[in-house]
Amino acid sequence: MIKQFFVILILSIVGYFLVDAFFKVPFGEKRDNVGNYYIEKSPVDLKVSNSVTAIVVNYRGFDTLGEVTVLFLAATGLGSIMYRRKQKGEKEVRAKNPSSRIIQIGSQILFPMIILLGGYVFIHGHLSPGGGFQGGAIIATASLLMLISYRKFKVSHNAITWIESIAGVVFASLGFIGLVLGRTFLENFLPTGELNDLLSGGIIGIIYIAVGFKVASELTGVIDTVLLNNRPEAQKEN
Amino acid sequence: MVISPVQYIAIPLMAAFLIPLFGKLNKDLARIIPGLVLLYLSYISVVLMNQIISSNTIIVEIIAGWRPPWGINLVFSPLTGFLASMFSMLGFVIWMYTYNFKPEVDNAQKQKFYVLFMMLITGATGIVLTGDIFNLFVFLEITAISAYSLTAFYRERDGAEAAFKYLLIGSFSSTLILLAILLLYTQVGTLNMAEIALKMPGVDPFMKGVILILFFVGFGIESELFPLNGWSPDVYTQAPGPIGAIFAGMVVKAGIYGLVRVVFTLFDVKEILPLLVIIGMITMAVAEVIALRQGKLKRMLAYSSIGQMGLVAVAFGIGTHDSVFAAIFLMFNHAIIKGMLFLSGTYLVYNSTEKTLDDVDGIGKHLPFTSFLFALGALAIVGMPPFAGFWSKLYLLMAAADVRLMTVIAIILVVSVIEIVYYFRVIHRIYFRERISTIELKIPSFNAKLAMFILAIIIVAVGVYPDLISGFIERATTDLLDKQSYIQSVLSVGLK
Repeated sequence: MIKQFFVILILSIVGYFLVDAFFKVPFGEKRDNVGNYYIEKSPVDLKVSNSVTAIVVNYRGFDTLGEVTVLFLAATGLGSIMYRRKQKGEKEVRAKNPSSRIIQIGSQILFPMIILLGGYVFIHGHLSPGGGFQGGAIIATASLLMLISYRKFKVSHNAITWIESIAGVVFASLGFIGLVLGRTFLENFLPTGELNDLLSGGIIGIIYIAVGFKVASELTGVIDTVLLNNRPEAQKEN
Repeated sequence: MVISPVQYIAIPLMAAFLIPLFGKLNKDLARIIPGLVLLYLSYISVVLMNQIISSNTIIVEIIAGWRPPWGINLVFSPLTGFLASMFSMLGFVIWMYTYNFKPEVDNAQKQKFYVLFMMLITGATGIVLTGDIFNLFVFLEITAISAYSLTAFYRERDGAEAAFKYLLIGSFSSTLILLAILLLYTQVGTLNMAEIALKMPGVDPFMKGVILILFFVGFGIESELFPLNGWSPDVYTQAPGPIGAIFAGMVVKAGIYGLVRVVFTLFDVKEILPLLVIIGMITMAVAEVIALRQGKLKRMLAYSSIGQMGLVAVAFGIGTHDSVFAAIFLMFNHAIIKGMLFLSGTYLVYNSTEKTLDDVDGIGKHLPFTSFLFALGALAIVGMPPFAGFWSKLYLLMAAADVRLMTVIAIILVVSVIEIVYYFRVIHRIYFRERISTIELKIPSFNAKLAMFILAIIIVAVGVYPDLISGFIERATTDLLDKQSYIQSVLSVGLK
């Protein structure tokens, strides 16, 4: 009781100061910060109409390379924690019960559309809202849908490994090419093209496509690992 | 391709993405690649350190072609370069040790281990090298995620519990640091550390206080300061032995670097330094007293590690040139000595499940080489001459005496006595007791012996001849305390 009281007391003191600090930040006023520079310059310098993409992939592309690595490590780490030796003659089952006919047919219709949407989102990352991370997540939901509606649906781990490795290598190699051709790592060495064209922004589009593939394959791998390992009773049924 | 600091990050990342593919070609490649990468990074460390020392400049590398404050930049200065070089070289030695460490682990798992192992080192290196506060957060995340997974690597131990605890506390720390970065950005409108330092005097004092406290608590968790270090004993105990060496040698070092960079460069507030001294002393005293009562070898080493970080915090907190020198020297010594203690201690209790101190009774006759190195490390860490630990403690005591901090000196000396008691107790058990335990001993493989031997040589060499390293540390100290030249060299890069 007394312990809980102190916990609440400390939390409210910390909360008070945090809220106070954040309320002191003026809202909606124009401030002097590097963000203004990005908004003004990204359509001119990079010919990219989505300034967020310009920041994420070019101005602060190094952070994105780091974030991609974080996701890669999370997937690797999860795989290592959930690792289980395969027994002989063991059947791998993800979903406990087969889904109804309606869900199965519905997901068959939805599956290609979701993939298409995901691809659209990351290919147009520099033109419209969205990008590699969002597109990749959308594609991963398509595999989730298939995994929960079909008991026999399998994701090839071999393919996932290849896709995620190659996508990562493409991202890092573009960085190295920038270092060799330009002067700095991840420098935009391709012509930037015309504003609002699909082929514009130089390496930005290519990087976002690589990120899209990487995120899609990693999240699919994560979903598959969790579904497979979450169910120890699945073994008994077989 | 010209050698530049970005390779510290880019090459390991590239290698990490390639390891799963190479693992399909040949099972051993996944283990060999991290070693080659770390060897190459050690080589570029030598080249770059030579370059900055001979030309007496700082290398500032801009990334993606945008000069600060718009883009991200890496700073290879005497301080950051020294730490990055130390991480790469120590990483290579630890890789050598891990090469044949647990042959019975499945290949698929080994491959993941080496990816995470390499990224743990890269994350710590990135924290140190970056000149951008948000980029620092990204590297903190890379370090943290690899650290959580590696803690839970062994399925037969209670690693999952320790990892979960670490995950909760670590995410809390990351959140606080992220909130601090957010508030900082609203105040100064930039994420570049040099420009933040330049604009800091104009920030509202209330905001400054809130941001500093958030950073302090966030990095305090990472650098094991009391009372924020609840995660570390379990993590050290449950993680694989060589990973314990990386935690002690790199991860917490990167944490304290973050704290020091924020306090000394970004904020430059001298008012918080006494707090660092007080917290450091409490950390040290509490940890060493608890270490005295530990019955398990790795737990004892973990508390000793916390105690040493307290000592480092005290040294930074005194804030004079001499004490900062002592602090960086302590960081270096603790990295190599505690690294060696973890590496050799792991083999002393290799097959034991409980890893208690009883298991090391009389082991000196059976594992003479490993026991000898452990004893050497124990003598070095308590500060016996002629080992490396002696000099850093001596410099710290002298620095404290210069500013008349007699209480600090008294506490450091008392704590050193406690340290001597529990380390000598282990040495006594190793050499003067009869072996009763029936657990089968594991003889270290040749590469593990070589790795431990290299660290032992460094400990003795620095102990006999501290000038080997003190020139680098002297430059690093000057670099950390000279805020103006840091700001100037970062902000003038790329100007035509």
